[in-house]
Amino acid sequence: MKIIASITALLIFISLYLIFGYARIEGTMLEVQKIFYYHVSAALTVFVAFGVNCVFSIKYLIQRKPNDDLLAVAAAELGIVFCTIALLSGPIWARYAWNTWWNWEARLTSTLVLWLMYIGYFILRSALEGDRRRLYSAVLGIIAYLDVPIVYYAVDIWHGGLHPDRGTKWSLEPTMRYTWMVALIALILLFTFLLIVRYRMKKAQARYEAIQQQYLTEASS
Amino acid sequence: MKIAVLVSFLAVLIIFFFVAQVPITLTPNEVAKAVSEATSESGVAVDEEVLEQAVQLSVAKLEKGQRTRLKYLASAYLIIWLVFILYVLYLERQQQELDKRLAQLEQASHNA
Repeated sequence: MKIIASITALLIFISLYLIFGYARIEGTMLEVQKIFYYHVSAALTVFVAFGVNCVFSIKYLIQRKPNDDLLAVAAAELGIVFCTIALLSGPIWARYAWNTWWNWEARLTSTLVLWLMYIGYFILRSALEGDRRRLYSAVLGIIAYLDVPIVYYAVDIWHGGLHPDRGTKWSLEPTMRYTWMVALIALILLFTFLLIVRYRMKKAQARYEAIQQQYLTEASS
Repeated sequence: MKIAVLVSFLAVLIIFFFVAQVPITLTPNEVAKAVSEATSESGVAVDEEVLEQAVQLSVAKLEKGQRTRLKYLASAYLIIWLVFILYVLYLERQQQELDKRLAQLEQASHNA
């Protein structure tokens, strides 16, 4: 755990140095383009986070182990955090690049829908209890994940949007590409670290609730 | 963990502060010197005063543009870090709540 935390912290510092001190300044958007490194990395981390949620939701439906549900919830929570980052940093970039804070183009809209679906996931969880909560949220987690490929391929499906093609980030100038890769690895590691922390907390919370329930049952009998 | 996030937030601010010092800031003296050097090197007769004014206007425009861009850049990274900090504070609160409830449970089991 300490090793992941140390590597994550180191990579974040390195990525910030690379962003502000190493990567070449892009010719059209100049310094504003540097938002790209964390904005795009956060957006890709969202796919990983909701992917983890989907995998463990499926696993829960097959094996019915409560721990799978806890891991799925932790991943969904972090997915929302990273999605919020992508949704908030994007408009700042858009204001400069497209002269508008928001545009109802395919990728932006589908990302907002994704965020709203996982907010709905937590609203559903808060409305239910026990096995029903785990079961219904696992089903919703799998359904919500169907929006991820739509977000990813939105620029290909609906042409004419403001976002560039999917392949653009791979054809970046070398210093920009290396910087982006380091930022992406740093954010995925940060996600992994926070996922472990959150999962452990959720597990402790579940154990506490089980002990409390047992104590209350014993006290009443 | 809260300290680590706060330290990284400070690091972003420091890095940003240093990067923001790099811009194309030029003093009027530097502009005047550059104009006089350029005109003497070219050997073409030009109105130095008009040229200096034009250059100063261009520099002011470039500086304004760069300041605007840096504001956008700073806002984006501040928001990113703010979201992380808020999330870590939320985790910290959850942990404190759990510790408190565990202590209460322990107390209750001792009393029983």
